[in-house]
Amino acid sequence: MNRKRSLRLWDITGVTLINVLVLLVVVAYLFPISYMLVTAVKGDSQFSDANAPLWPARTVTGTYAGEEYPLYRVPLEEGERELLLVTPRRGASEFVDPDDVDGGIIAWEGNWRTLEPVYAFHLTFDAFTDWFDELDFGRIGRNTAIVVGLTEVGVLITSILVAYGFARFPIPRGDLLFLILIGTIILPEKVTLIPTYFTFVRLFDWQGTWYPLIVPFWFGSAVLIFLLRQNFRTIPRELEEAAMLDGAGPLRILTSVILPLAWPTVVTVALLHFFFIWNETRLATLYLLSAPDKHPLVSGMMARGGFVSGANNVQARALITMIVPATILFLSQRFFMRGVQVTGLER
Amino acid sequence: MRHAGYHAQRGRIGLLLIAPWLIGFLLLKLLPIAASFVFSLTDFNMLKPQNTRFVGLANYAILLRDETLWAALFSTAGVALLTVPLQLLVALMLAALLSKPSIVGRNLYRTLIFLPSIIPGIAVFSIWAGFIDPASGWLNRLIMEPLNLPPYPGVNSESGRNALLILLSLWNIGPAFLIMSGAMLGVPKELYEAARVDGAGPLYRLLNITLPVISPAIFFSLLISLITVFGGTVLLDRNITFSSGGQSPIDDYITYMMFSRQALGYAAALAWTMFVIVIGITVYLFRSAERWVYYPVGDSS
Repeated sequence: MNRKRSLRLWDITGVTLINVLVLLVVVAYLFPISYMLVTAVKGDSQFSDANAPLWPARTVTGTYAGEEYPLYRVPLEEGERELLLVTPRRGASEFVDPDDVDGGIIAWEGNWRTLEPVYAFHLTFDAFTDWFDELDFGRIGRNTAIVVGLTEVGVLITSILVAYGFARFPIPRGDLLFLILIGTIILPEKVTLIPTYFTFVRLFDWQGTWYPLIVPFWFGSAVLIFLLRQNFRTIPRELEEAAMLDGAGPLRILTSVILPLAWPTVVTVALLHFFFIWNETRLATLYLLSAPDKHPLVSGMMARGGFVSGANNVQARALITMIVPATILFLSQRFFMRGVQVTGLER
Repeated sequence: MRHAGYHAQRGRIGLLLIAPWLIGFLLLKLLPIAASFVFSLTDFNMLKPQNTRFVGLANYAILLRDETLWAALFSTAGVALLTVPLQLLVALMLAALLSKPSIVGRNLYRTLIFLPSIIPGIAVFSIWAGFIDPASGWLNRLIMEPLNLPPYPGVNSESGRNALLILLSLWNIGPAFLIMSGAMLGVPKELYEAARVDGAGPLYRLLNITLPVISPAIFFSLLISLITVFGGTVLLDRNITFSSGGQSPIDDYITYMMFSRQALGYAAALAWTMFVIVIGITVYLFRSAERWVYYPVGDSS
């Protein structure tokens, strides 16, 4: 009896400890993100002020005789008080109590520069509004929608068809072809870059267009094909055979039997492509060199990298580039983490 | 006889289905790889394209004596040995930890672990550059000082660069973590139950059930983590290059040859050399996989 109770107590302690441990690990892992969030909502003045706190804040001011004066912490004989600095001087300064303006001038001996200003919590979104003033987000949004949308449609249609072909049909030399497909996953981009670039730019005259960013995806993506095929193969064949007896053709079986069962993986693969293409900057930087107004969001904001000053502007840019994929990740978290299953690289 | 005809017809349908990928492979991969090799046999330079000559294997003779290349290869190997095992180990540990049903909110935690991997490279760069800045960042002020640790020296020192490289690589474990998490969800519950009945502890279950069953996922994660070190982009585009050195020194060197020096013939020779090295490593890994990657019996449809 007693032993049982102590065992349960031990279990509860263990579970609590492991939960606390996981929480600490995740908080530490994401800690730099809090730096970004906090810095992005700070005002410009906070970066030139050595006394400024780490949290977003501004100095507090008050009015006296129709003028604005800064508020300081002043150590007086009766204790520390927060007073408005009316006349700053090196030897002795004059203050006024903001709550008791009629009380008149309070004199204080000492250098006012040694005093600490009073800070109040203050959020400012100036860094964001500056970005929105500076860039044409209507045009950038349209560019992003075109590149993301057209690659997404193409890569999904093609990858699903190819994965279905590899998963279910006795393709001549299919094993070898699938091995080659896996090989192209690990192919370093630089090996194909020079001839591809010359073909796209010199032969097709695609410099400054979206074609080099979009067209390759209409031939499928090896890693997505691999993930889809893995999943298609786990679907029992009996279901298809029943549909086949009813006279359904291959495409009909794909759309009415396979896809309804495989949709979590299809959505996951669509999300993986979305995150990838949203972050894609290498090709965009290369092929949109002559047409900076065709840049999607991330490469467009990256192209302006050298001109950004001020930590708040830099962090606001970081937040603007990540806010959409982060939101979509959180909205899709229920099944996203379950959709990827790798059970074997063979055959 | 009729069955054989049906089989061949199914084969043709399959070929038709994979045709888009096959055409893409021939036009966008195989042909450019071959053309790249032809480029590597010339001294083509964008700055003086009219002077292009066929130089045979001269570029390859030059690169054997190119000390910058050897240094880049050497540090690439260093980066790989430093980051890849660490990434896999951390991804595996987190996936194992977050597969425990007793963790409250583990779906949210999984998403949060994956979050840094969907942050654009430019934002990752900005966040970390600001966070670790020795003067204005938070790392020294909020972590190193309160814990009485030596202050972070900044990216200009060797140790500072390596520390940053490790931190950044840990922020890229998303794909490996995703694949391993998915694999762990797929481990048959009966296996754990059977082991528990036999009195097996958690460590025994991890080593003798979880690891063998998810070994294909570990192998796949190994491949995609490794390819990042060679400048590849699988599931994750990490175009981060700190001025003091990127995640792939060899890829940075080829980029430099292509875009700064515009020596495309030589750059193609470098790229082809890297290609051969990557193929060599991959073939070796697939060979070794036969010994340590477990495939379920009967899954041979």
